[in-house]
Amino acid sequence: MSVIENTNLDKHSNQKRISKKNTVVDLTPMVDLGFLLITFFVFTTQLLQPTAMNLNMPYDKVKAGDEICASCVLTLFLQSGNSIRYYEGMPESNPVVRQTSFGTHGIREIILNKKRQVQRINGRADDFVLIIKAADESTFQNFVDIVDEVAINSIKHYYLDEISEADKKLFSGE
Amino acid sequence: MPKVKLPRKSTAVDMTAMCDVAFLLLSFFILATKTKPPEAVAVVTPTSVATKIAKEDAILVTLTKEGKVYLMLGDKSKKEAILEDVNTTKALGLSPAELTKLRKMEFIGMPFNKIKSMLQLTEPMEPKKMEGIPIGDSANNELTDWIGSVVRSYSGESMDNLNLLVKGDNDSKYPSFKFIKDAFKRNDIFKFKIVTNPEGIPADSELALNPPGAEKK
Repeated sequence: MSVIENTNLDKHSNQKRISKKNTVVDLTPMVDLGFLLITFFVFTTQLLQPTAMNLNMPYDKVKAGDEICASCVLTLFLQSGNSIRYYEGMPESNPVVRQTSFGTHGIREIILNKKRQVQRINGRADDFVLIIKAADESTFQNFVDIVDEVAINSIKHYYLDEISEADKKLFSGE
Repeated sequence: MPKVKLPRKSTAVDMTAMCDVAFLLLSFFILATKTKPPEAVAVVTPTSVATKIAKEDAILVTLTKEGKVYLMLGDKSKKEAILEDVNTTKALGLSPAELTKLRKMEFIGMPFNKIKSMLQLTEPMEPKKMEGIPIGDSANNELTDWIGSVVRSYSGESMDNLNLLVKGDNDSKYPSFKFIKDAFKRNDIFKFKIVTNPEGIPADSELALNPPGAEKK
């Protein structure tokens, strides 16, 4: 640490001597201060730049001609309070509507299970079709989360749609 | 045997070098910190696994928590043409002086019929106090007209030059986003981008195992 000069010894002598001062400055506090400021700036620097997520809308002026297999479809309904309702297959076949939530153990597991099931039956996981229907009560975050989920699970086909009358009937029959 | 004399070393370390390093790093971080201008409109964006950086010079549609919609014409080279196009097609009746005033505004967030009166104010209006561009029902979706002017100003160019971004707040309701989407759709824009904050890709998900870049040659 710092070198403390003992000048007290000279006190007894009457001769006033100009003590030779040490030019070495103790830099420890300065280093402390430096690193304190560094940590401050490291934490406040926003290195995270906003990213842009791609979103493609279906070109719905042309009716899609490709057939999809009824058992490959999973329909999600984004509800209020970050909950999701979903059913498998077509609404005509009176499927069971279940409820789940966002997150790894909620929607991701369901999507992955369905994908595996499609893989087993059709032999191709790409046949899987996800239909997303957002209710008016759902938030923008819900929507982005679910489109993100599509990217995370590498789903090739997904569509955005509105909640239809047939869907509402399914809910009331719950 | 001669005694080995160990010289007593002082424990004082010369701090000069360390001090130099500390302040070098400090100056680096001070310079690297971007002083962010305080955002006029507070928007908390959702997170996504997207890795592309959002471009600055884009046409940005901002959707706030309250459902207000603002338009930012980030592409400086097109801003003038877009505003003039809006002025003529929507018959706003703005004088050249008012147009320049409008061009200086970063956020556009007023209904067409109130733009002129807003520009006549001596103090520029704060974005927070603006009403937002009406998007309500489909007949009165003024964003459609704005986007129409934007698209016209890009005519003759590849549509890839048009950088359309939507920046929405986490808590804004889905219908507002749907109206924005409809406004784009009616102008035959089916591709756009959503501004998000980056988020880690969950390990052992399909995206982490085969990233999309790897599939392409």
